[in-house]
Amino acid sequence: MKRFDPGLIAATLLLTSFGLLAIYSSGGTYFFFRQLIFLPMAAGAAAAAAFIPRRFLYGLAEPIYGLAVLMLVAVLVAGTGPGSHRWFVLGPMYVQPSEFAKLATVLVLAKHLSIKRNIGFSFRDLTVPLSMVAVPALLVLVEPDLSTALIFAALLAAMLYWQGMRPLHILLLSSPALSFAAGFSLYTWIPYFVVLGIILLVRSGVRKALVGLGVNAGFGLLSPVVLSSLKDYQRARIMSFFAPWFDPHGISWNAIQSQIAIGSGRLIGKGFLQGSQKRLGFLPNRHTDFVFSSLGEELGLLGCLVLLGLFYWLLSRMLLAARQSGDSTGSLLCVGFAAIIGYQMFVNIGMLLGILPITGITLPFLSYGGSSLLLNFVLVGLVLNVVSRPE
Amino acid sequence: MADRLTRLTQVLLIMLGVLGLRLVHLQVIQGGRYARLSDRNRIRKLVLPAPRGRILDRNGVLLADTRPSFTVTVVPTELTDSALSLLARLLFIPEQALRDGLKPVAMYASPVSVKRDVSIEEVASVEESSFRLPGVHIRVDPVRHYPGSNSYCHVIGHIGEVSEEELKRDTSLRRLDFVGRAGIEAQYESLLRGRDGYEYVEVDARGQEIGPLREKRPEPELPGRELVMTIDDRIQRLACELLEPYPRAAIVGMEVRTGAIVCLVSKPDFDPNIFMAPIDPETWDSLNSNPSKPFFNRAITAGYPPGSTMKPVVALGALRQHALDRYTRFQPCYGGYKYGNRTFKCNYAHGSLDLVGAIAQSCNTYFYQAGIRLGLDSLTTYAREVGLGRLTRIDVPGERPGNIPTREWLDARYGKNQWGAGSVLNFAIGQGEVTATPLQMAVLYGAIASSGRAVRPYLVARVDSAGLTIRTTAPEATRLPMRQEDIDVVKLGLERVVEWGTGTGARIEEISIAGKTGTAQNPPRPDHAWFIGYAPADEPEVVFAVLVENAGHGGTVSAPIAGRLIRAYFSPAVEPQAEPDTAATKPESAPAATEAAPATSQPESQNP
Repeated sequence: MKRFDPGLIAATLLLTSFGLLAIYSSGGTYFFFRQLIFLPMAAGAAAAAAFIPRRFLYGLAEPIYGLAVLMLVAVLVAGTGPGSHRWFVLGPMYVQPSEFAKLATVLVLAKHLSIKRNIGFSFRDLTVPLSMVAVPALLVLVEPDLSTALIFAALLAAMLYWQGMRPLHILLLSSPALSFAAGFSLYTWIPYFVVLGIILLVRSGVRKALVGLGVNAGFGLLSPVVLSSLKDYQRARIMSFFAPWFDPHGISWNAIQSQIAIGSGRLIGKGFLQGSQKRLGFLPNRHTDFVFSSLGEELGLLGCLVLLGLFYWLLSRMLLAARQSGDSTGSLLCVGFAAIIGYQMFVNIGMLLGILPITGITLPFLSYGGSSLLLNFVLVGLVLNVVSRPE
Repeated sequence: MADRLTRLTQVLLIMLGVLGLRLVHLQVIQGGRYARLSDRNRIRKLVLPAPRGRILDRNGVLLADTRPSFTVTVVPTELTDSALSLLARLLFIPEQALRDGLKPVAMYASPVSVKRDVSIEEVASVEESSFRLPGVHIRVDPVRHYPGSNSYCHVIGHIGEVSEEELKRDTSLRRLDFVGRAGIEAQYESLLRGRDGYEYVEVDARGQEIGPLREKRPEPELPGRELVMTIDDRIQRLACELLEPYPRAAIVGMEVRTGAIVCLVSKPDFDPNIFMAPIDPETWDSLNSNPSKPFFNRAITAGYPPGSTMKPVVALGALRQHALDRYTRFQPCYGGYKYGNRTFKCNYAHGSLDLVGAIAQSCNTYFYQAGIRLGLDSLTTYAREVGLGRLTRIDVPGERPGNIPTREWLDARYGKNQWGAGSVLNFAIGQGEVTATPLQMAVLYGAIASSGRAVRPYLVARVDSAGLTIRTTAPEATRLPMRQEDIDVVKLGLERVVEWGTGTGARIEEISIAGKTGTAQNPPRPDHAWFIGYAPADEPEVVFAVLVENAGHGGTVSAPIAGRLIRAYFSPAVEPQAEPDTAATKPESAPAATEAAPATSQPESQNP
């Protein structure tokens, strides 16, 4: 028998309960009960993940990764989704291979990085990890699902940092991607480029700085090209982030209504089940991507802060687990998983608060959705596994 | 390792801090604004229109009412194609026209008007097929209705859509509201309008109403006040009917003791109900370009030379000044009077008359000399003292004061002393620049009839609200400078007018009438015919002033009309239809009673 971290379990269950309440309030009994049915499945998967022998799991890393990449290729061919190829429909369930791919990538990356210490800014150290991340990330990107693709960058950055890479090098490494993201608008790209230039000049030599800036400029220029090739709805979403009040009944409507919902909740909210924005249909996808908006409307600032506190509890327990883990692969797993959950939490809530563009990122443990709940529970189960002590 | 954990925890805290600060910004700093935006999203304020107050006659006959008008509306997003064809058939609209009309609003989820003021039959046919007409609704709007149509177009007036300026001035008004535009409707606008109520309903993101808002109570509407007029619908309609043959005319009937107006009619008239629907340009043009000006309320606005109806004023003024007494006889009338090098005409050689006889026979020669004896200044001063040239202050907009030309007025008009000395002769027989409205003359004769008590005429007797009387008009009166013994002399003369003088056409069997005929000269067109009479002669209750434009002699046209009205006023029930109305159609005129016509048709100054 193993002993597990009770704090991590408690945080997970509290977040999930919060999520069930939110789904009940915003989605009604139908979605509430469906999510409730997923819960034992997710818990079972989490238990399996918690009890699976670590050696066996690490041994399966490459096959799992291979399977994930195959699924990502398959979904591009046979998948469905709103203007994209994101899901397989398996009977009553929607399966998102990208969820599985996140887990698989962390696993294979952890196994690879665990044998290295103090990773430097060199081809020798970085070629393999970058490739491992680039394959699924690019496959997700062409689905197209930019925000999910960026999760891979986030988890890579966190895990490289954990293995001793300097933050400056991580910044340099990720700067082309950041330049690409900022390049959708000159107003974001120019400040970004100037700040990057100053950092590079101060922290490294002129020659390195020029190379770095040149690469960045190249990726930044790529961005308008990509923008013009995006689907209309994607382009509109991105543009609406830069000028949200420009077209209040068009694409920005979602963002504005979400902020109205959250803002009108004020300090203590309108009361559970009382949110008018949610109830009267002003919030889109209110039980999935926008579940936090209806929570903010009904429970107010206090409820939101409690929720953020629970996320802090969960994530800090996961990070602590990284230190307490008996093996370095396990540590890296914890860091990678924490990065996934932290990134999704920040991007989802950030977009609903109007500080990030509206994308299709779910809020872990709260948004309605079976495969997402399953994956998040498995992540927690694996973290419990790597820090568990034999009793 | 520890510092890496700390760093990562710090990154996590920064992320949570950014989210937390943004939450504080949205929910605390901007919370009020977002709460308002959220309410604006979901709350729709519905107007509960306050019905405009009704207007009744003195006996409770409905004169202005608010009736329901049905408008067919559709919600374009809910309307199916088959429902559209069916609706077009039911409403007798070409299907293509309906389709084209709805095209620009095809995405609307709220009702759009399709046809206004549909008949009750069309309403019924739409209601019957409602299950096949998704998204089709019938809205009921209050529309002003005037059952008396033309008879009351001037006195009650009408309402019209508010203008931009009115909207700016009065914040309680909303676009498409109707306000009083003329007559009683305009005068009593603030009482009639009432106050709209509001109801708050919750709507969803598609704009559909979910139900009443619980947290905001509806404000009930306050219906407009009900006005009870002094008008007697029976008399008003009869007056209209009697004026039917004449294109331009006016009648004022008034109770002499109170000033309550019994009837107030002006011709030509129009149907005020046309203003309630979008008015068709043809009707509008014909009303506007009509040279007789149908919108003009002649009874209170038009100044006419009073003609011989002025003579009692001259008599009273002269008696008061002791310029003459009832037995005074002047130079006899040989069909005219020589003044300076001009002869002022009288149209009959009356011979020698005393004052009563001169009034009865309307002898110009007598009154030329009375006028000279009184003098211009005394005459005009007295005319003003008895209310001519001044507003009567009736409670309806548009009243004009007429004109009493004083020395100053003549100086200003023709230059200092450039007007002839003979003006006083003209004024003494009510011609030239002297003008008065039918209303003024009714009030003046009412004062003569009731011992010099001049009343303020009024049209609204009572204001009711929810069945309770909240205001009753108190009659107002002022005493005119008339001595009782002088009044008695003049009244005797006025009785003689109807008994055997110029006004025998007014005579009816059952009631003695006193009055005065007049012919207002209107060169180059035919004269206007006046008759002002009160009854009963010994104890007067009511006075009628009748003016018919271009109808010639007052005795032949106007006096019989006044007689008919007086008879109707004193008959308690409906006037018997069978009775031959010889008075109205076959006016008799005594040979001795031909109307005195003025000598000159031009102001004196033009005939030096």
